[in-house]
Amino acid sequence: MRGEEPRKRALLARALVRTTIARYQINSQVNPRSLRFRKNVHGKPELEWNFSDHWLSSPLHFNISHTSSLVACGVTINSQIGIDVEEKHRNIKHNILSFARRYFSKDEVQFLADILDPEIQRQEFVKLWTLKEAYVKALGRGFSGAPFKTFTIRNKGGGCFSPLENLNSEAWQIVVDSFDDPRDLTSNWQFLLLELAGSHYAAICMENIGAVEGKRTVPVKLKVWKTIPFLEDECVSGTDAVKSISGLK
Amino acid sequence: MASIATSSVFFPVSSSLKQNQVSNLKMVSLSFTGKNFRSLRLQPSRFRVACAAKPETVEKVCEIVRKQLALPADSAVTGESKFASLGADSLDTVEIVMGLEEEFGISVEEESAQTITTVQEAADMIENLKAKKA
Repeated sequence: MRGEEPRKRALLARALVRTTIARYQINSQVNPRSLRFRKNVHGKPELEWNFSDHWLSSPLHFNISHTSSLVACGVTINSQIGIDVEEKHRNIKHNILSFARRYFSKDEVQFLADILDPEIQRQEFVKLWTLKEAYVKALGRGFSGAPFKTFTIRNKGGGCFSPLENLNSEAWQIVVDSFDDPRDLTSNWQFLLLELAGSHYAAICMENIGAVEGKRTVPVKLKVWKTIPFLEDECVSGTDAVKSISGLK
Repeated sequence: MASIATSSVFFPVSSSLKQNQVSNLKMVSLSFTGKNFRSLRLQPSRFRVACAAKPETVEKVCEIVRKQLALPADSAVTGESKFASLGADSLDTVEIVMGLEEEFGISVEEESAQTITTVQEAADMIENLKAKKA
């Protein structure tokens, strides 16, 4: 029944978060059911950590995203994270440029308008959408905390978010320019863009703790697991199921 | 040696309104001289008062939602329907808002767009914005 699907999805998402995070607990086995969550002032879910009978913010951060066919959960230690997944072949009902003009920044509209091939334009649109969503979710201030028009996400060297041979890592770094908030320096955030299972784009945005502390950017170590909660975990990093588009060496 | 005994006392809150009765009531928006006090964010509470939009508006919103989510014409979409429960993801919700802007000739700020989760809330917001335009 169609009505059942979103509820099943929400349940799966919750199971995924709990079983994933339980894997990271340091002190022996943790029952996923015992994990406690709360929402920050803007409504972003966070993990609470019991330390000497007090419930504090946990150094573990997570974020989830789901589409009709995939639920994703990203976990980091000591850094804010936002993740968004979208079907590769997703089409929108509106004209892409009309939509972009309404919601994206001027530079992003220009970037999309410059792409002549409609299929490539559609792909880049979906990638850009996931990157923007991931950034806003990482900030944790809600959609209105960082309206889409107030920041631009782009490749440092310009051009599409596509993998190339002989990547010059500097030129292919995904960066964000925020007009409104000077605190949101480009260097504070790292982006990854992946293709998952040949069917989805996944964008991950993480706080760059190294930059925040004035150190060099630390390269991201990413491990991807394909999981059936409570049943089966399969590490798919390094397989065809995970193709890095940008951000990973 | 003195011993201190503490005990917790619970006062169960009994309400004559059961959970499923409250869910039918909607949020009220406080308007002073035509401006909404955005800083007065009403947290979801047990008491919500209905300021319902016109049925035609609600029906139009249902139509737009059905179209966006490619739902069959006879699928159950009503004022109470939550976008997320109908299968809308974030991209769908933004498209729905865009569709509403086009249909009703209004402009929805992103802050307002974020607070809409049901058909009724969308319809109420539309009536609000249309009234402000007039």
